[in-house]
Amino acid sequence: MASTPSSAPSWHKIQIPRPLQRLFDRFPLRTYEPNDLPQRSQQLTSSDVATLYVFSTDEDARIGAPSFNPGCLKWQTLLRLTNLQFRILPSTNHASPTGSLPFLLPPRTSSSPTSSSPPIPADKLLSYAAQKSTTTTNSPSPTTTTTTAKPPSPKKSEAYSSLITLSLRNAWLHALYLDRSRTALLRALYIAPCSSSRAVQTALLYQLRRAAAEQILSSSGTTKVGTAVGGAGGSSSADAIDEEGVYAEAWDALCALASLLAESETGWFFGAEKPGTFDASLFAYTHLMMEYMPEGSSTEEGEGGRMALGAMVRKAGNGELARHRERVLQAAWPGWEGRREGVESS
Amino acid sequence: MVLQLHVWGPAFGLPSIDAECLAAIAYLHESTSPTEYQLIQTSPSAVPTQHLPALHDPSTSTWTSGFSRIATHLQTHPPPSFSDPSRPSPLEQADSTAYTAFLTQHAAPLLSLSLYVSSANYAAATRPAYSAILPFPLPWTEPPAVRAVMVRRAEHLGMSSLDTDARAEKEREAEERAAAEGWVTVPSALKLGRQKEKGVGGMLSPEQKARIRLEGLAADVLDVLGEVEDWSTLSLAARCLAFGYLALMMLPDVPRPWLREVMRRRYPELCDFVNGFRREVFPKGRTLPWAEDKAGMAAAVVVTRFARGALCEVPWIGEYWSQWWTAKKRRQVLAARGMKNGSSSGMLLLLEAGLGMALVGAGAFFYRGLPPFGEAVQVWRRPLGTLSGLGAAGAIFSGALYGLD
Repeated sequence: MASTPSSAPSWHKIQIPRPLQRLFDRFPLRTYEPNDLPQRSQQLTSSDVATLYVFSTDEDARIGAPSFNPGCLKWQTLLRLTNLQFRILPSTNHASPTGSLPFLLPPRTSSSPTSSSPPIPADKLLSYAAQKSTTTTNSPSPTTTTTTAKPPSPKKSEAYSSLITLSLRNAWLHALYLDRSRTALLRALYIAPCSSSRAVQTALLYQLRRAAAEQILSSSGTTKVGTAVGGAGGSSSADAIDEEGVYAEAWDALCALASLLAESETGWFFGAEKPGTFDASLFAYTHLMMEYMPEGSSTEEGEGGRMALGAMVRKAGNGELARHRERVLQAAWPGWEGRREGVESS
Repeated sequence: MVLQLHVWGPAFGLPSIDAECLAAIAYLHESTSPTEYQLIQTSPSAVPTQHLPALHDPSTSTWTSGFSRIATHLQTHPPPSFSDPSRPSPLEQADSTAYTAFLTQHAAPLLSLSLYVSSANYAAATRPAYSAILPFPLPWTEPPAVRAVMVRRAEHLGMSSLDTDARAEKEREAEERAAAEGWVTVPSALKLGRQKEKGVGGMLSPEQKARIRLEGLAADVLDVLGEVEDWSTLSLAARCLAFGYLALMMLPDVPRPWLREVMRRRYPELCDFVNGFRREVFPKGRTLPWAEDKAGMAAAVVVTRFARGALCEVPWIGEYWSQWWTAKKRRQVLAARGMKNGSSSGMLLLLEAGLGMALVGAGAFFYRGLPPFGEAVQVWRRPLGTLSGLGAAGAIFSGALYGLD
């Protein structure tokens, strides 16, 4: 019989203990058919209005306040700029079919109580909103998708958008996750909602920090060979990150965006009539930076410390970006005043 | 003392094999007189910043690494003959910043697809180039490390199929697992049927199979760069960086030259830019102020660097080791800038890791010594050395000797 030649015990093959094996011989494992969803499940998981699942807190979700996650806030802003009615609910990445927030659950369809309509991932949100607004209300408002679909200078906007997705994102990641002085904020936003157990929170904090360091290292040019080698999985410590470089790049990026915005007469990027995707994705960062990081962190390393990201936004281009943030806030959240100003400055 | 720019050495007919190093050389060359700086060919393990390009400025005794940081450093602490000829307007400066970020974010992964991810190109062009510029034992540790970083940088593009080494490894592992778990093993001689994919698919190289997607990825990046009508409106730093990436995309002679073909066919203006810039900055016959780093090339130093690199590859320990080493080097760099940094518990961590490893090893050893679960324990005892132990014969003797019974 041609069986495996390696009858010798190997390290990673642990034999099943004999009593256990006898037990399973008598009671073989059997997988039952999955049950159907209960009838009430759709009532519980969906509502009459579309639901956008984002990182948020319960109170914020009730009043529809801006999310504290830049990725979610971008899409939330864009959806608010369309005339789609939706509510938001706090959620986590684990709940999303794509593995990342945000996603939108369409309103309940009364015709079929059990078969629910599939959730819509982030990149299809705008087309969904456009489709809804044309089929149902048919209002005269030209939806923002028309402006976002054809920006006047698409190629240049791509170059500028990497200022947001590279420089600003890295600075945000570093300031929130790796800056030790903001541990309390990080815990309040991302860790405390997940678990009340101390041990789980500690592990989660470590994982988040590691993932953030990994993101910064692999996306920017500050990858250091010495650290990235260790272990095939890639060990990444925050020590390998050139902090000053990250913040200097963020400052350059903000200045560049401010001078680009100053060229536009309409107050929106690339001379658009209405705020578009680019405005929303910049707003997602500037708003959060100004709201959560208004002043410098306490553990500065000599030389009087560096500017906090919120202060950078306020100063870039003589407040050009701060005014842009106000405009977007007015357009998407009319009547909303920065609730957190002064509250979170502890 | 003059400025010292530590860079990867020359390859592919260019002054450096790395895009940012190439850009840094070009920038320094264009803005500063050659008597005021030296180029030193080295590798990241030799400089305290652990990252190239690195600029050592003896006047401020600081180390700066990364191209944009070096350019900023030169602008804020200019050497006597420094003059940046470009005077961009605020909007042009903004454009330059945007294109710099774009190149870092998108051109670098594209370049690493061509030179590092693709196994054929890496084996035939990149790795020999690294071997040529590194002193002897270092080619064993450093190029794989660089490749690992570059592959990780291009991971999000989802083109790992170009890395046939990794795929062959995975297939072999899967086969071994199947052989170990299966009841019946088919000898490899009989496995002709599913040997290797035959037919058209088997004849094509991974690059040819993925050609359409590769061209799409290249177009995503190069379309944006091709929109730039006049490169001279951008700042000198942005132009240098663009040259660094585009030249390495276009010039190296690699066995699977998809990136070069795409550039030559569809973006002649980018090729013109690269050729023009090269003619202007690195004309034939002009020598760059290379200097020999005698201290760094001493045999003992090289062997130490090699040992450090090898230690990083040790599973588990290597991770902690490299973290601790990076933290140490970082403190060194920051100390040179006159900054205080909180001491880290690096050594303690290393000790902990060692202790943990020892414990795990001891535990495993102990576990292996245990008898298998569920089996009756059989204990063999040495028979007593009496005559009755010999059975019937013993009984006879015992009776005969003592006259009993």
